[in-house]
Amino acid sequence: MENLYIAPTPSTPEVDFKFDQHRLGLRGESYPENAAAFYGDVIPPLRTYLAGCVDQPIELHIALAYFNSSSTKMLFNLIEALSGAVDARGNRVSVHWFHDEEDDTMLEFGAELRDDFPLIDFVLQPVHSG
Amino acid sequence: MATAPLIHEYGPFFDQARQHRVIFYYVGYFSQNIIAAMAEAVKLQLEVSGVDGPTRRKLFSSFIEMAQNIIHYSSDALTPRSQNERELRHGSVCILEHDDGHLLLCANPVESGVAEELRHKLDTLRQMTLAEIKQAYKDTLRGEPPEGSKGAGMGLLTMARDARGPLVFDFQRIEGRDDTTVFCLKAVI
Repeated sequence: MENLYIAPTPSTPEVDFKFDQHRLGLRGESYPENAAAFYGDVIPPLRTYLAGCVDQPIELHIALAYFNSSSTKMLFNLIEALSGAVDARGNRVSVHWFHDEEDDTMLEFGAELRDDFPLIDFVLQPVHSG
Repeated sequence: MATAPLIHEYGPFFDQARQHRVIFYYVGYFSQNIIAAMAEAVKLQLEVSGVDGPTRRKLFSSFIEMAQNIIHYSSDALTPRSQNERELRHGSVCILEHDDGHLLLCANPVESGVAEELRHKLDTLRQMTLAEIKQAYKDTLRGEPPEGSKGAGMGLLTMARDARGPLVFDFQRIEGRDDTTVFCLKAVI
């Protein structure tokens, strides 16, 4: 299937899903007016891609400087979809969670995702700012 | 004939703003683009004011939540009801320096039915401990989004989690109108 690329805007992230290389990236800020609509263009193609993966190493890099409350729910759903792909078809998913080293909220959320989805290899990556 | 200096007419208004230590104030129509522009202004203002990183992030987060709640819930809409993207709705938001923190204030008209729902949610939140708020946040994250919600119904929980002390709110009746109330919210960060 075709790779998915959505260019960033001031309030929505860059979505760079290279399905052919099994490397997925989400980067920037996420506070769309309608998170369900924005991620509605992201999660279904991801699910379609995952449905075709078996025993595949898949890597997702998330580097979001900020996401609003409604994006939080969507991100959770996105990670849940990845976790499902591990469970169902033996894929090996790693998620690299990039966060500002001073940002407790980001760190905590990453840690929660890691604890909630033990099937995923979660790597917390603090980034030094300034 | 000499005209009175501007400072006589408008001085008191600017003095008030200074006394209340207003660092950002916007009243008007809110759209996604307007919020993105304000976000940039607020980020810059906070950096320049020397506010520490973690506090800046919490302020920014609550500011966005308040501003987006105005787009979603203000009953004063410029765009037609049937349009549910690129909406324009009226409200106001204000950031003030306060003691050793910041106050975030927002106000917008809401339909009286919505006011009742809000009152209920906020009353419940007021009585929760921080631990309970964090737990409610996790539970809502894992649950289904509320019907008709463009987000996940987690905006107030997010603000309550980051604020120092419970969110303070108020409803003002509008003279001559039963269908609409003005909702005001204050968060101390």
